[in-house]
Amino acid sequence: MAIIKVNNLSKTFRVKLKEKGLKGSFKSIFKPKYKVIKAVKNINFEVEKGEMIAFIGPNGAGKSTTIKMLTGILYPDKGDISVLDIDPKKERKKLAYNIGTVFGQKEQLWTHLTPYDNFKFFGAIYDIPDSRVEKKINKLTELFELGEFINTPVRNLSLGQRIRCEIVASLIHEPKILFLDEPTIGLDPVVKENIRTLIKRMNKEYKTTIFLTSHDVGDIEKLCKRVIIINNGQVVLDDSMENLKYHYLNKKIVEAKMKEKVNLDDEEGITILKDKGYNLKIEVDTKKRSVADALKLLNPDNIVDINISNMPLEEIISNIYKNEAEK
Amino acid sequence: MLTAVKNQFKISFLTIKYALMREMLNKVTFITNIIFMILNNASFIVQWIVLYSLKDNVGGYTFKQVLLLWGIAAGTYGVSRFFFKKAFSLADAINNGKLDSYLVQPKNVLLSTITTDVEPSAIGDILYAYIMLFIYGFTIEKFLLFTLFIFTGGFTLVAIAVILGSLSFWFNKTDMIADVGNSLTTNFATYPDGIFKGVVKGILYTIIPVGMINYIPIKILTEFNIWLTLGVLGFTIFMIFLAFFIFNKGLKRYSSSNLMIARL
Repeated sequence: MAIIKVNNLSKTFRVKLKEKGLKGSFKSIFKPKYKVIKAVKNINFEVEKGEMIAFIGPNGAGKSTTIKMLTGILYPDKGDISVLDIDPKKERKKLAYNIGTVFGQKEQLWTHLTPYDNFKFFGAIYDIPDSRVEKKINKLTELFELGEFINTPVRNLSLGQRIRCEIVASLIHEPKILFLDEPTIGLDPVVKENIRTLIKRMNKEYKTTIFLTSHDVGDIEKLCKRVIIINNGQVVLDDSMENLKYHYLNKKIVEAKMKEKVNLDDEEGITILKDKGYNLKIEVDTKKRSVADALKLLNPDNIVDINISNMPLEEIISNIYKNEAEK
Repeated sequence: MLTAVKNQFKISFLTIKYALMREMLNKVTFITNIIFMILNNASFIVQWIVLYSLKDNVGGYTFKQVLLLWGIAAGTYGVSRFFFKKAFSLADAINNGKLDSYLVQPKNVLLSTITTDVEPSAIGDILYAYIMLFIYGFTIEKFLLFTLFIFTGGFTLVAIAVILGSLSFWFNKTDMIADVGNSLTTNFATYPDGIFKGVVKGILYTIIPVGMINYIPIKILTEFNIWLTLGVLGFTIFMIFLAFFIFNKGLKRYSSSNLMIARL
């Protein structure tokens, strides 16, 4: 059953244009010029209950605008949104009781209060009786391992600890959907991994639907089974993570250390990525040439060491961005 | 409905309480701010002492009435800045996408936004206001009326600030207009209305409603009049509704922002 339904959603922004210099500033007072930016253009998608979905795209693609329309922050110009059968445009407050949001770039916690006091405050915001909030705090403290610093003012916490508290604050009212916008921004790899594990655990424990936007491929790869890629305000790909990898795995990266130099300049299906004499890195398009064939060209007797790998997901995604931009 | 209103008030009071706790972290600054504000307000009275040593009556006001006027002006200013400080920088909140966190909460966006910060020095204004009332002449009746008027006036100042700040939903760089508008209501508040005549007086009872915030309350405190009191109450309610109406209308045009923001 789809709990998020988006039909022909569009949003435009009017931006004032100004010519350079002081002269331009004066001109724009008397003869202002505007540019209409179509941030989101007729997008459609659905999200099922309990799904963990990655909603990704390059900067300015329209993902934040979409997430903000889904959460009731922005009014769409056109199209329909239904989140848990609620129209965010008409019933913002009702929706707020049922969803949680974490914006990695915008803190919601009071920094001079302890996480515990903050959670109590959020409990009051969602009209939850004190006894229930207490139980919920205890449970989430255990799940997110906050015990050590639950009574330390937020301003004294590390960034990783803060983000964990931000997530817990957004879960106090047991939302059915959690919108995470760049939740791991600025975190070190260990903390990132920790946050991912906790999000996964939460999804498993509470069956919370996760709607994630991130530039971090690790977040996407490790958390989500489905990816929606948005670029220039349009959905350019909506597929499972497995399919995404499968379709783009027709390219293999071969890194080889050679005894003698090899010239592969005009070979079909082979792109030289790096050629430093005896060290070679090539990309093999398996639709045009098999890996075995490519190895023959290198001559197995000539190979000192070799590594054959799939194209990293990061590259797959950036290729999709680039291809769409070229179109 | 009643529970929703009760819960909304509970959150607003909690927010103000937490904001006050934040300001109290630095005790010395907190207390100094309050004391200096009282001294700052008191310094202005010196010029009136000089003036009244030359003349018994200025613009129809006795010296004690001027003190009361200063009391009402400081009190309304204090109430508006202490409880609703952010109303006076609403344009910045709108322009820089600072309403996002309140829009995803099931509470009133405007109230959540404007109660998120307090101005400690405004406590000095409120204390000063009551000192002026005591000098003017304390009675229980006057105390209650005075309290009522510093709240009605404070709410009206906030409503004006919200209306001016909400212009940012439609136009760019309206923070300057809001600043000028807010200063006007304060600047005219400390002069007896008798010195203003004609068009200026008309403006002070309409566009810049200092008359409704300060002058009429002085009249009522000098000689009680139920109709004038109801008039002030009616005007305050009208301004509050107008502020909510304009803000909510503009909220549909809110365009957020991707600036990095921390709740400090």
